[in-house]
Amino acid sequence: MFDQMITFTKLILLTMVPFVLAGQGTMLAGRTGVFIVAQEGIMLVGASIGFLVSYLSGSLGLGMLAAMAMGGLFGLILAYFTTNLNLDQFVVGLALFFVGLGLSTLLPKLVIGVTLTPPLIPTLQNIPVPLLSKIPVLGEIFFNQNWLVYLSVLLTAFFYYLLYRTSFGLELRSVGENSQAADSLGVNVRRMRYLTTIIGCMIIGLAGAYLPMVYTGLFTEGMVKGRGWLTIALAFFGGWSPHTIFYASLFFAGIEVLAYRVQVIGSIIPYQFLLMMPYIATILVMIFTFGRAHTPALLGQNYNREKRTM
Amino acid sequence: MLNQTRSRPLITNPFLGLGKRLFPYFLAVLFAFVAAGIFIVAMGFNVFQAYETIFTTSFRTTHGFVQTLVKFVPLLLQALAFTLPLAAGKFNIGGEGQMLVGGIGATATGILLADLPPWLLLPMVLLAGVVCGALWGLIPGWLLYRFNISEILTTVLLNFVSFGLVDYIATKVWQDATAGHPTTVPIGTGGYLPLLIKEPPLHSGILLALLVTAGVYIYINWTTAGYDLIATGANPRAAKVFGVNVRVLFVLSLVVAGGIAGLSGSIEVAGFHHRLIEGMQANYLVLGLMIGLIAKGNTIAVPFVAMFISILEVGAGALQRTMMIPVQMVLIIEALVLIFILLSDVIVDFRRR
Repeated sequence: MFDQMITFTKLILLTMVPFVLAGQGTMLAGRTGVFIVAQEGIMLVGASIGFLVSYLSGSLGLGMLAAMAMGGLFGLILAYFTTNLNLDQFVVGLALFFVGLGLSTLLPKLVIGVTLTPPLIPTLQNIPVPLLSKIPVLGEIFFNQNWLVYLSVLLTAFFYYLLYRTSFGLELRSVGENSQAADSLGVNVRRMRYLTTIIGCMIIGLAGAYLPMVYTGLFTEGMVKGRGWLTIALAFFGGWSPHTIFYASLFFAGIEVLAYRVQVIGSIIPYQFLLMMPYIATILVMIFTFGRAHTPALLGQNYNREKRTM
Repeated sequence: MLNQTRSRPLITNPFLGLGKRLFPYFLAVLFAFVAAGIFIVAMGFNVFQAYETIFTTSFRTTHGFVQTLVKFVPLLLQALAFTLPLAAGKFNIGGEGQMLVGGIGATATGILLADLPPWLLLPMVLLAGVVCGALWGLIPGWLLYRFNISEILTTVLLNFVSFGLVDYIATKVWQDATAGHPTTVPIGTGGYLPLLIKEPPLHSGILLALLVTAGVYIYINWTTAGYDLIATGANPRAAKVFGVNVRVLFVLSLVVAGGIAGLSGSIEVAGFHHRLIEGMQANYLVLGLMIGLIAKGNTIAVPFVAMFISILEVGAGALQRTMMIPVQMVLIIEALVLIFILLSDVIVDFRRR
């Protein structure tokens, strides 16, 4: 029983990573008013290209960089279309979702083709932290994980510091709350939106690459399984703040692991209903938090300098 | 006059300056194909042969043509299920789930009441799909009404719930043990949609789909209820001031959309598969959204765009069989068409200033 508790907690930390990364990416862009809705597509293409580059080069690190670069490209397009061309963020986001969805399956088919045995990449190794991993129980849970688990914790702390403890963070947040005021105080609204959207999408791409690199070792069609869409719910649930998004990710990861564990142990509930759990739980959670948590005032709205406000 | 916000697709008079309005579309499609063509050449394929395959497969044989029409039905209905709430400014990304739950309702009716005569069973099967789809659309509608939760999220999340439901029904409740894939036993033959053409089989679902399209067009453009819908989409606050119950209207639009998507599910069951099959939703949702966005929510344009996409999709299948170019290539072409149409908006807007 005790061993199971350790495995369970360890798995939650392992599973939270894609949620934390994609959630922070969504939050970052959302804080300047850019509402990314292409997470599912960006994560898919990140998973696909991350897997392919790792497979061809033999280096997981290169795969991650490629996934981030691809995410960044999607972010650049989203930023250009919404800030420069003033197109609807949601429609552009959906279009990018379609592109990501298509590319994610097209690329492996073109590069690898049909093989008898599925191509595999080695999964990411755990890196025990020296000394700390020797602490009984806690060391095994917290300090014997892959390095992206550590990164996602550090990234959360970094974003928290950046947003709430630096003047740059204040400027960043002001763009999402009142672009006009920010603009009049000399903040470059457009550049800020570009920056956060590109970096945000890069992190979301990395979140996608995590899936084949840690869970399966191979890319399968549609392997993101709605995690991208869940991320949007996560951002609302997490109140668009780095630390609360982290807690929300733990909750989402907990539900995913629970559904998985119950399935393995075997229960009277058919597994199909267990698979529905994360989605139903998300809807239930939204009932209690939606509208209550803070949302950036200009989320999803483009900033047009010449527009009159009445 | 309604305030025309640039960033949101609006419904306008369909025949006003048609040629002038279609021109940017042609350019956008052309650019998309040129851009995709460069990609295809770069991959080492013959681009002219590829495009010939994409465009002619639907018209070379009766089989290809019928296949196109059969694909046209769910795509058209999915696109309508997206565009109707869009007129009120609501995004229904749950057409897939509504279709599957509609399919479940149709299958359940067709199996449980298999012995009923056709004149009774068929309408019940179709109606069961509509009702179940509408109920599935009511959930996000109610969540929006009661708790103000964004319908974008709830509709998407309910899709994943519906996948589980289909899997459960097809493996635990009425599973067909002989099929290698989660599938239910067939519905009673009385629930089959009559065929318009025997060989290759073309079911009469296409008539229903066109009827629904006409209904949606009349509702949106010719009735006061439809005018409320457009007014709400253009400016919810103004509509509210003028006495439209905006929140109820949102729920209604999602319920009707759910019913339309549910009908597509029951048509797939009654007309095509005659049973519930896991994965029968294919990528209709994505294509439906794409059609709705390319048509910019214009109900008249939707059937034409849906036909265009059906032709491309049937061509995509042939492309994979004869030239080994993966089907997803066409999905990217379609996404490019959408992106270039968005860009053409910017240019048209720029010229108008």
